[in-house]
Amino acid sequence: MADDPNRAPKHLGADLVIPTLAVIFTLYYFSTIWNSPWTAQVSAFAIGGVLLFICVLFFFKVAGQYKRGEGRFTFTSLINFEDIRTGRVALLFTTVGFCWLIDDLGFTLTTFLFLWLSMAILGSFKRLGIVTITSAIMALGGWAVFILAFDTRFPRGWFEETMKAVMANG
Amino acid sequence: MGDTTALLGTVFLETIGFWWVIIPTIFLGLIVGGIPGFSAANTIIILMPLTLAMDLQMGLVFMVSLYCAARMGAGIPAILVNIPGTAGAAATPLDGYPMTKQGRGQQALAISFVASSLGGLLTTIIALAAMPLLARVGFYMHSVEMIVIMLFGISLIASIAAQDMLKGLIAGFFGLMLGAIGTDVVYATPRGTMGFLELYDGIPLIPALVGLFAVSEAFIIIEKRVILTKQGQEAMENPSWAATFEGVRDALTRWVHICWTSIIGLIIGVIPGAGASIASFVAYQQSRTFSKTPEKYGTGHIEGLIAPESANNGVTSGTLVPLLVLGIPGGATAAIMLVVMQYHGVSFGPSLFQQDPKVGYGMFMAMAVSYFLMILTIIPLSRYMSRVTTVPTIYLAPMIISFTLVGAFVPREYMFDMYLALAFGVIGYIARRTGYHVAAILIGVILGPLLETYFLRALKKSEGDIMVLFSSTLGNILWVALVVSLVLPIVFDRRRKKKELVQP
Repeated sequence: MADDPNRAPKHLGADLVIPTLAVIFTLYYFSTIWNSPWTAQVSAFAIGGVLLFICVLFFFKVAGQYKRGEGRFTFTSLINFEDIRTGRVALLFTTVGFCWLIDDLGFTLTTFLFLWLSMAILGSFKRLGIVTITSAIMALGGWAVFILAFDTRFPRGWFEETMKAVMANG
Repeated sequence: MGDTTALLGTVFLETIGFWWVIIPTIFLGLIVGGIPGFSAANTIIILMPLTLAMDLQMGLVFMVSLYCAARMGAGIPAILVNIPGTAGAAATPLDGYPMTKQGRGQQALAISFVASSLGGLLTTIIALAAMPLLARVGFYMHSVEMIVIMLFGISLIASIAAQDMLKGLIAGFFGLMLGAIGTDVVYATPRGTMGFLELYDGIPLIPALVGLFAVSEAFIIIEKRVILTKQGQEAMENPSWAATFEGVRDALTRWVHICWTSIIGLIIGVIPGAGASIASFVAYQQSRTFSKTPEKYGTGHIEGLIAPESANNGVTSGTLVPLLVLGIPGGATAAIMLVVMQYHGVSFGPSLFQQDPKVGYGMFMAMAVSYFLMILTIIPLSRYMSRVTTVPTIYLAPMIISFTLVGAFVPREYMFDMYLALAFGVIGYIARRTGYHVAAILIGVILGPLLETYFLRALKKSEGDIMVLFSSTLGNILWVALVVSLVLPIVFDRRRKKKELVQP
């Protein structure tokens, strides 16, 4: 199998991320119910036990594949240079920034900033006029529908408070 | 009989007279249903002052049509951008989104609209005719029977796992473990909460849905200029009405499929506490089990799209049955309807059809009229809605992220839920890139806590005797049906392979 030149080697390291997360979480979960009443334990031990068993089987399978030279312990299918070039990593940072800022800056302003920056990065800072107009329309549209019309409790900030004051005073 | 027919005729004419309320409400419902975090339930709450200010019949028509349209609206982003608007539409993208990528988004929307409308219409008529009988279903469904119903839905994980058994099972059981986060239902002992108070109630569904589907999808689609395949782009270059008619025809020729999957939805909807998410997973799983081409499911198969859509619309009429006949709301929206109707002095329960027959029949009539008007108003829009798929991903991805993350915030208004959605987004992204099915994780997250609740209730009642699971006749019949539905695909598959060997 490993000698087949047309078959790309598997990225076994990346394949192990989800099972490893599952095992860590299951063991942590068990630690939180160790001294609990049986009602809190019964389904978790049943499901978690099966999950651990399946993960162990998967680890053996991966070890076998590695031994036969069918794959390498790499994470390239998960993260590689392309993720930086296409702006995916930058988009992740802007998304974290969006969650972090929205409580202080409010929905409209944060959405505008996030959309503008993300679209500009993904579009390699070309056609900034269209990016600015699209971001402004989407952010203001969201404000008009969700805050002005439906009065939902979207995070409010400087823009929302200013508009509220402007409208209250005619 | 004659009196009832005359009454139904009067109620029908009065309801259709509210077309000017129903049509705008349908569009509102489509919007709120399509945005994760918004639903008919919280929109009715937001618009409660308006609903209370309306007269009884108008308020009723408004709420019912919003409910139906929101259910249908949840399928639109599920088909077009792989983002279910609600948990009830979580099974829709399994076949809807592959159709979109192939450039058949317009057909997929038309199929979804026809399946939803006809499924909703049919189950409304059945519910109206068989209300006393259906109302008793809830009495027969105890914890044990509900466990088996849940297992029907969860067994879909096994179907998904068929492509890569170990990865599918890991994803499904990981979802079930994540679904077990929160306090246990008997002693309220916190489990796996990592110290976050916000997780004591368990994993909130909308952030999980937003993260696993929307956020992870947004990070995936930026690899390409548009979400369509090359073949899909060519197909979308010349949009025509013919594609819509093709979708309508595809759905109508499978009317039998629409009928039986919507009846699954109706029966599950009648059970208080069970909901559209269970119905759509069970219907999808059953549809795949009895299909002659189960291997096509997940690749853009029409029947795989029809099953969850007609089932989750079948649930809408089902939830009204226990509300009207027993005074027990079958779901969140029905519970809010109960509050609004009680404000108007209407008391639900067995006496409703004697004291206020117009209200009782009016709710079903409003549902039937809404579905009928939806067929006329929404199907023509599929041509224009499907154009969303041609928007470049550099614009689409940030819009998806920002609006769905805020949608994750809406139901509980915790900033924590936005971060939780982001965390699920990272899990979903890793899962997609490494061949683990996010739908299997979501099935676990949605159905896991429900399964545990019913399991603990059954054990508690039987004082820990596990044999309680096989103690009821109906439960045992359901167990046999479950085993049959798990074994049948294997038998069919072997038979098919044998045939292929005989006729190469």
